[in-house]
Amino acid sequence: MLQTVLEPGMAENTALFRERYLAACRFMLLARLLDDKFAALWRSGRIHGGVFLGRGQEALSAAAGVWLKKGDVFAPLIRDAAGRLAFGETVLDAARTYLGSALGPMHGRDGNVHRGKPKEGYLPMISHLGAMISVVNGILLARRFKNISGTVGLASIGDGATSTGAFHEALNQAAVERLPLVLVVANNHYAYSTPTSRQFACRDLADKAAGYGVAVDSVDGTDLNACLKTVGQAVARARAGRGPQMVVATLLRLCGHGEHDDAGYIDPKLKASPAGRDCLKVAEEHLLRQKWADAATLAVWRGEVIREIEEAVAQAQREPAPDPFAEEWRAIATERLSETHEEV
Amino acid sequence: MPQIPIIMPQLGESIAEANITGFLVKPGDTVEAGQDLIEVETNKASMTVTSPCGGRIEKFTAQLNESYAVGATLGRIETTQEEAARLGLDVPPPVRPGDTDRVTREGGNGSRSRVQPTVRGLPVPANAAGASYLSPRLKARMTELGLSAADLAGVAGSGAAGRVTVEDFEKFIAHLEKQKTSQASSMRVSVADAMRRSWTRPLAHVGLPVCLDPLFAFRKVARPKPGPALCALRALAVALAQNSAPAGRLVGNKIVHPSSIDIAFAVEAEEGVLVPVIRNADKRLLKDLIAPYNKLVELARGRKLPPDATGGSIATVTNFGTFGLEWATPIPLPEQTLVLGLGAARHAPSWDSVQGKFVPIMEANLTLSFDHRVIDGGAAGRLLQHVADLMSKPEEL
Amino acid sequence: MSITYLEAIREAQAHALRDDPRVFIYGQDVGAFGGAFKATKNLAVEFPGRVLDSPISEDAIIGLAVGAAIEGMRPIVEMQFADFSTVGFNQIINQAATLFWRTSVPCPVTVRLPFGGTSGSGPFHSQCMETVYAHYPGLIVLTPATVEDAYSMLLEAVAIDDPVIFCEHKLLYYHLKAESLPSEALPVGKARIAREGRDMTIVAYSAMVHEALEAAKELTPEGWEVEVVDLRSVKPIDTDTVMASVARTGRLLCVGEAWPWGGVTAEIIARVTSEGYGLLDAPPQRLNAKDTPVPYHPNLWAAHRPTARAIAATARKLLRL
Repeated sequence: MLQTVLEPGMAENTALFRERYLAACRFMLLARLLDDKFAALWRSGRIHGGVFLGRGQEALSAAAGVWLKKGDVFAPLIRDAAGRLAFGETVLDAARTYLGSALGPMHGRDGNVHRGKPKEGYLPMISHLGAMISVVNGILLARRFKNISGTVGLASIGDGATSTGAFHEALNQAAVERLPLVLVVANNHYAYSTPTSRQFACRDLADKAAGYGVAVDSVDGTDLNACLKTVGQAVARARAGRGPQMVVATLLRLCGHGEHDDAGYIDPKLKASPAGRDCLKVAEEHLLRQKWADAATLAVWRGEVIREIEEAVAQAQREPAPDPFAEEWRAIATERLSETHEEV
Repeated sequence: MPQIPIIMPQLGESIAEANITGFLVKPGDTVEAGQDLIEVETNKASMTVTSPCGGRIEKFTAQLNESYAVGATLGRIETTQEEAARLGLDVPPPVRPGDTDRVTREGGNGSRSRVQPTVRGLPVPANAAGASYLSPRLKARMTELGLSAADLAGVAGSGAAGRVTVEDFEKFIAHLEKQKTSQASSMRVSVADAMRRSWTRPLAHVGLPVCLDPLFAFRKVARPKPGPALCALRALAVALAQNSAPAGRLVGNKIVHPSSIDIAFAVEAEEGVLVPVIRNADKRLLKDLIAPYNKLVELARGRKLPPDATGGSIATVTNFGTFGLEWATPIPLPEQTLVLGLGAARHAPSWDSVQGKFVPIMEANLTLSFDHRVIDGGAAGRLLQHVADLMSKPEEL
Repeated sequence: MSITYLEAIREAQAHALRDDPRVFIYGQDVGAFGGAFKATKNLAVEFPGRVLDSPISEDAIIGLAVGAAIEGMRPIVEMQFADFSTVGFNQIINQAATLFWRTSVPCPVTVRLPFGGTSGSGPFHSQCMETVYAHYPGLIVLTPATVEDAYSMLLEAVAIDDPVIFCEHKLLYYHLKAESLPSEALPVGKARIAREGRDMTIVAYSAMVHEALEAAKELTPEGWEVEVVDLRSVKPIDTDTVMASVARTGRLLCVGEAWPWGGVTAEIIARVTSEGYGLLDAPPQRLNAKDTPVPYHPNLWAAHRPTARAIAATARKLLRL
């Protein structure tokens, strides 16, 4: 999470942009290797429950994360490993949540991608797609009440979530209230196994924006360069008070819906198309071509990232699991109103 | 042509169903109103179902040897319009009002019982009414005071079907507290509990006079001397060894025969009665029982009976004659089915048919109290007669 | 001076807006129009910018409230009818109700539900929703039966750090009046003995409390003194007060306007039977609405829910057991 804001129209050949690009790239690498680690842990039976990766979507997610600053609000979704790390989540917290450590942010009460720290603007998703957007709206509206300006809220969703009533209501609401919401739609062509031909009938998801009175940009989600520019501009416009901004990115999921899914339904033609490019490879190649980093640097990054991951995972695995007998088992904050159900 | 149903009548109070045992007419037969049509049997007796009207038997829907509930349709009679009108059978039965006609639910507790009777002939409604129903609150209160259902005998119940409510109970206790009370000993309380539990069975009694002359003659020459109660005990043991069914326990539909002929005898101690047991009384002769018997009497009187000397007996022998009583109806212990009682010996005239005159004998009443679920009067009488016969030949005991 | 149940609700909201800058109101037609029932009449004028009209989006309304609560505000959202809250059901039970348990961040949202039946309202403007919300952990569900409680409990609801489902009975809005607003009140979580008795306990909540009191009056000349317990909150339930009442009377009848399967009446009976079995001199009973959607026609509606007459009839049967 970096401190400065991209001015609309800032050229890419600036020190700031390059710095942002390098940061994003490293977060993408970290996210990719962390996802690989989770997949491996799952296959070896050390993760309980589902594992959901963001492989193939790192560029878009990292771009969102690097443009948000401390004090902004981020509502990531399933494929946002890169964005979460860019927004400030530690590898340790991610590992703790997946490995069920009692010391993780959710304390074992929720797991895998359902993690966050609401008071730090990092919202833990609930499983109902589209539901987080109005929560972001609420935070932004509250800041308006508190005369806090200059912050934005960014919510991630996929092509599938654009079909939900929650998405519709929330986007409409944000537009009516003219909130500084940035909605990043990752159109990865499939909602689990459902292709977009069965998800929506409009020509392009970007067409929906006009229906809500919301500005929109489209972008190639596999191109970090393009993502940084497009998402950066959207964030800047929202921050400047120009109302909700939508970004629709085209890419492909390079993994199953969850690690339990082999994604055999993905059209091989799509895999072979530009949308199927590996954004990490593309980003690294661009870095090298621009001479913003050399192969040695990338190797060093890789080594550092692997070490960081392994240390975090090792630590999380050593930590205690939640103890049901030590749990308070109370779902409300007001203790005196909590009912106890004693057994005979 | 109207078709009139043949309905299973209410054959008696608390009868819920009856078994079809025979058809006295067949489909196609012409019958008169009131004619016997179907034979049925309940647990009490055999009865017949009669025709509701004159007409022709159209069909029987009931089957032989099947049971049908009171009110069930067993068949149909085809009759003329005039006959139906004459008997008032031409008006269809009133439609049952539906739920929408009522603002409140019909039938609170009891009038729409969803539980069907499981015991044939004796509906056991699973509802909260009836004189013997004790609510949880009432039971809790009774437990608090150390009372049992028997203590409520005579308490007027104002609840549904005469049940005793908590209010009735509290009034009763308040009333009692105004009267003079004294403390009952713990023995008294435990005997009360045993008797109450025993009394849950249907107990009956038979008796016959027995001539004690052979016994007294035997005692004159016997060394050591057996008491009359011990003779009776040994006689009972021998009789039960030959047929132990009368001393069995009825559990459900099985009679559990005793595994050993252990017979107790009553010893009066201060404040109550102790009942030490002679184990395997059938396996030892009378002369060998005398010493153990006397020892047990001594221990009982001294309140020094060891724990294994009581309990586990199948019958008790009580010599109420020692109180001067000629007749008594003792109550078996809860785990027993029989009590053999011996009354006071008295001079009595006995007809001697050989001599053609009354001769004086020593006579006493021998009584048998028994659980009527296990044996009936006849079997009880036969057992008693057998005991009396054995007691007339004491040298063989 | 007399004040209606509805006016008490408006007064409470005005009081909350005045005393706490973190409070704002959000819902359909609540702004200039003052709300479908006028529960927020003039508040938008008195507190400019703090009483906002929302689109017809119950899901987003609740989601927004949760977000605002995370940010430290104390939103009051008005659902136009309890029946419509089902569109926001997901956000209530999965977003608001799980936030504290999942993250330890409290969610001080108050959701006001105009609930319960009035003649002619039909299936979608009459529902009692307290059962489904009370079932989910993480929510507090309040059911004020009096003008005083409508006032004091709404104030307390806003002050509570947890999501509160505040069930306001529409039948009581204009028909129930009080002399004045209270300065003190029983706290949320305590039930009230609305009428002392000796022979039987009727446990009720919201509008049914008034029907139960009418039924109790009907039974007095017959020699019965019936105790009526007003639960006030159905989550949590003040089991202690209910249990103490049954300890006094030994007979229990629970009355609810909701449907028979499960619900508050079943919950009370379950608790009394398992924790106070020895207190019961007769089997506990309950009376609920008929197991159909709420009918439109007044003849049908009058028979659909428990009335004082029906309660008295059931009570009589229970008293004679």
